[in-house]
Amino acid sequence: MPPEAGRNRVSPDRRQVNLAEKPETIVMIKSLRQSTLETLGLGSVLSIFKNGRLPVDTTEAVCRVFGGASERGSLVISGANGIVGAGKAMQLGSRLASFGVPVVALDFAGSPDGIGQKFAGLKNTFGTEGAARIMQNIIRLNYDGKNLPADLKNFRPRFLLEAVPEILEIKKAHYAIFRAAFPDIEIRSVTSGFPGAELGVGITHPAFPHEINKVWEVVEKTPSAVTQLFWALGMIPVCVSDHWSFVLDVLFCGLTLAGLRYHLNSNMPFWRIDKYIRKLLGPNPFRAHDAIGAKGANFLTWSCLHHLGKAYGGLFTPPEQLKNTVDGGQNWYPLNHFRPLVNWQLDPLEEQEFNTRILGPLYQMASLMLHENRAHYANMNIIGELCAQFRRGVLAEIRARGADAVIGTVTAYHKLEPQVAKSAWYPRVFDRMDTPEWQQLYVNAEHDGTVGVLTIGRESYNTDVDGELNRAIDWLKSERIQKVILCGDFHFSTQMVGADTSAFFPALKDESKGYEVSYQWSKTARRLNDEFKTSVGCVTGKRCLGGMLELMMHCHYLVAVSDCDLGMPEVTLPVIPGMEGCHWPFRRAHKKDWPRLVKLLLGGRFIKAKEATGWLVDDAGSLENTLKKVWRIAVGEDHGLALRPLNADPISGIPTDAACMAVADDPVTLAAQKAILDNIIASCGVTLNEAIDRQARHSAGFMSGDYCRGGAIGQQYAKTMKV
Amino acid sequence: MSLKARIPYGTWGSSFFPAWQMSPLAEVNIGQFAGEAAGRILGKRKVPLTELEYMIIGSTIPWHYKFWTAPMVSSCMGVRLPGYHVEQACATGLQAVLLAGTEVSQGAYDAVCCLTFDRTSDSPVGVFPERRSYARTVGITDVWDNFGFDPATEKAMVTAAGLTARKYNITKKEVDEITAHRYKQYFDAKAKGFLDRCMVPLEVLNMQGRSMGVVDHDAGVREVSLSTLGAMRELDTCVTSGSQTHASDGIAVLLVTTIEKAKELSLRPEVQIEFVAKTEVRTLPSYMPEAPALAVRKLLSQTGLKMKDMAVVKNHNPFAVNDAIFSRLLEHDWHNVNNTGCPLVYGHPQGPTLTRVLIEALEEAVDLGGGYVLVFGCAAGDVGIAAVFKVS
Repeated sequence: MPPEAGRNRVSPDRRQVNLAEKPETIVMIKSLRQSTLETLGLGSVLSIFKNGRLPVDTTEAVCRVFGGASERGSLVISGANGIVGAGKAMQLGSRLASFGVPVVALDFAGSPDGIGQKFAGLKNTFGTEGAARIMQNIIRLNYDGKNLPADLKNFRPRFLLEAVPEILEIKKAHYAIFRAAFPDIEIRSVTSGFPGAELGVGITHPAFPHEINKVWEVVEKTPSAVTQLFWALGMIPVCVSDHWSFVLDVLFCGLTLAGLRYHLNSNMPFWRIDKYIRKLLGPNPFRAHDAIGAKGANFLTWSCLHHLGKAYGGLFTPPEQLKNTVDGGQNWYPLNHFRPLVNWQLDPLEEQEFNTRILGPLYQMASLMLHENRAHYANMNIIGELCAQFRRGVLAEIRARGADAVIGTVTAYHKLEPQVAKSAWYPRVFDRMDTPEWQQLYVNAEHDGTVGVLTIGRESYNTDVDGELNRAIDWLKSERIQKVILCGDFHFSTQMVGADTSAFFPALKDESKGYEVSYQWSKTARRLNDEFKTSVGCVTGKRCLGGMLELMMHCHYLVAVSDCDLGMPEVTLPVIPGMEGCHWPFRRAHKKDWPRLVKLLLGGRFIKAKEATGWLVDDAGSLENTLKKVWRIAVGEDHGLALRPLNADPISGIPTDAACMAVADDPVTLAAQKAILDNIIASCGVTLNEAIDRQARHSAGFMSGDYCRGGAIGQQYAKTMKV
Repeated sequence: MSLKARIPYGTWGSSFFPAWQMSPLAEVNIGQFAGEAAGRILGKRKVPLTELEYMIIGSTIPWHYKFWTAPMVSSCMGVRLPGYHVEQACATGLQAVLLAGTEVSQGAYDAVCCLTFDRTSDSPVGVFPERRSYARTVGITDVWDNFGFDPATEKAMVTAAGLTARKYNITKKEVDEITAHRYKQYFDAKAKGFLDRCMVPLEVLNMQGRSMGVVDHDAGVREVSLSTLGAMRELDTCVTSGSQTHASDGIAVLLVTTIEKAKELSLRPEVQIEFVAKTEVRTLPSYMPEAPALAVRKLLSQTGLKMKDMAVVKNHNPFAVNDAIFSRLLEHDWHNVNNTGCPLVYGHPQGPTLTRVLIEALEEAVDLGGGYVLVFGCAAGDVGIAAVFKVS
């Protein structure tokens, strides 16, 4: 929950679980806002660096949930052949196999083989042998719904993940038989709607697609060992409050309802509504239902809305047509032989009404969830992005529009749908939009009085992140912090994939917009170099690419885990790196390493961090060593690394020979390579002060040109925005 | 007749009627297209599909999945309705509306969607095993072979037009003058924006979801002068390519409801549109062009109404000869018929033709402040159909 919004927090930072062998260091850490890691009982990000290790050791976390190696229990997934059960059997099974935790997949005899269907995906990811090994650890047992199989006890069930149908009585009866047989078993429901108070168990509600989506909405009074185990296994548990349908399903089902209501008012077909919603916000709610499996997904949506409607009134009450889709089980989209023939183009007035009918209820739902303190604001915001395809989280969207505009939209919506105005509308929650909880949805800052840490909780860089990063830097500066670490948040951003290319859409048509993005983002990145005595970029995820790598390389030191992928894939889109990637690394690298940089920029291929040591990163090692090294650099202890100086003068002699270039054979890539090389030569050929403008002009010029418009970004723009 | 049913003002619309092979409509399953287009048109008219209870579709040319009739078409519209298919050659468009009126008046439904459509382009070919035929198996292209051969008379439509013109001593000069006037009426109405109130432009998508073009005008219709018409070769007596209609593609949709529902759905609830009377006649073999006039004469005698009582007179006139004969038999100046255009000019997609005629007639009557609306036309088999509506 957001604590005392609007005030910076000062708290003793300690790990909530006593896993460490040595006593914790207790230090006073001040933060711009509460870190989301703290909501999991895992302390602050700064403490990770201070302690030189992650707050939870995976093996210990496994032992706490499943017992020690000699008495290892099992995970039971009931409803294991269903969409959720099968997906989670794959996801958890692949992670737990190496710890010797068997996964018991329990379902009715004769239920369709959901697990078997997942094998192909498993094989693609882990190879035939790896997949077989994981499957060997999945034990399939049948039961009749009333009596547990006798063999089950042999596997010492310690944790039940229940994924049975969304019928309260069935679920409760299911828990009862497990508790009778295994009194100490931990139970979590994957329910998409029922609060834990109704079920009598904790909730771990996953998001589609279940075999790969790592987000779980977690409902529990205090963070449990199960939740911390999930985090340690690489999942993204997100704490939410114990209210009907949590956060994801309020947003997802609510958006579906908004679309359905628009259909009922306009007759617009669902496939077309999806396109306009995608243009407006990002998701395709109806397509998503079909992709998940319309019959089951429609029931879940109806069930959520039905219960939400009872609890909150007209805002959520599902229309009869939704029930019909549940009973009929038909897809929302037409069948292939009826692919749509008639286009639906909205005129500006119609589109305005459409936007009101979609955004109005969305804002109103957000007001309800904020009023109920359903989650840390960053949690609430990111769920939409990670689980429901929102281009920008709902709170970020609201923040960008401003309180008055948001309230105006909801008021206009109430005129169109008067029945929803009667309840669940809390406009006062938008009064506090200037507080850090609202202003720092993606970027947080912490410090201990000496060292600050800037954490980015989003995998791709966009204008929201840029604004927040500037505010976070301002805050650290105002706190007189001179040493800073830049890193992910160890929660939402498990990797750093680069710029959010949707931020470039305006630049496709207007060169000045491209310049603005490139120049502003570069200016922000330079602050890491210019405004701190010491700045250290720390890359701990799977990859750090494009714009995020450009941002990181602006730090005085860059340290990464050795098997992390680094790369500049812009050439493949194509777009020109516009956050100073075309000159900054050259100014910090020895001339002999320039061919590698040219190859990195022109080839678009990834390299491991350990291969880039000395010319792109300053050090690469194990996670623990990386954390320790970063801390030593930050506090000024002996770290053994020489600072690579930044050459502010014009530099020349950039290698242009084919030997160091990965020359492409298609004209688009060739053109992009030429444009990138031109930018390298041009921006290196001027002083550091001049380079920011020079490279931004090159980048903007290319973005508004034919190659970029015809490339991946242009296609993405056309698909999304040209409705 | 005096049905209790009403046509809610404005709950209608038609596609434009692009000429045969001249638009993307030549490439669609017209049943699916009609369903989707009807949803679009009713959406524009602020009629939620949930208000509909039943559907009557009218078409004359076989289309893919025709067996599934109205339920399939309504699914494409976005709602699952029961209903049936009606077919009566070029009378289909009016007959479907009249049947919808009957369904409502019987109390079966409060709101019936009447949707008519046809695609003459790329007419399907029927292959019929015929043991009595020398050829044993007969293939028929549904549009052109039927135009060219009435199995009851062995004569073509155009022959019937010539025969009837000779019967009434119609001159080519008069027919050309009528034709020229009809074109002028159409282009005048178009210039005033009248068509934009009745027609809805529709963008057609291909399988990849990309635009194949927008059907936003009656493609193939060009202004024509009297001298041009005069120079045209007669195909039969008084019939030239200029004074007969052309095959086209299109759809038209119109709602029929109870009185109460009409008030709810009408774009102008103060306007009432009632069904007054309807009749049909069948005339002598191959005298089809006189049949509509005979039907009107019968209708007037049944109702006691006179031609001077009619605020709007509009017909389906595949041949300008029809209008000359009507004028002769009803002693009604042909200048005062079809003020806003007619199928002679904008084409003849069969099923929806008379639905569009009716929609335009009702719009015109509302413009004039109400009155009786006479709509009539001919149909294959020497049939004439006529109906009167009252707009108040």
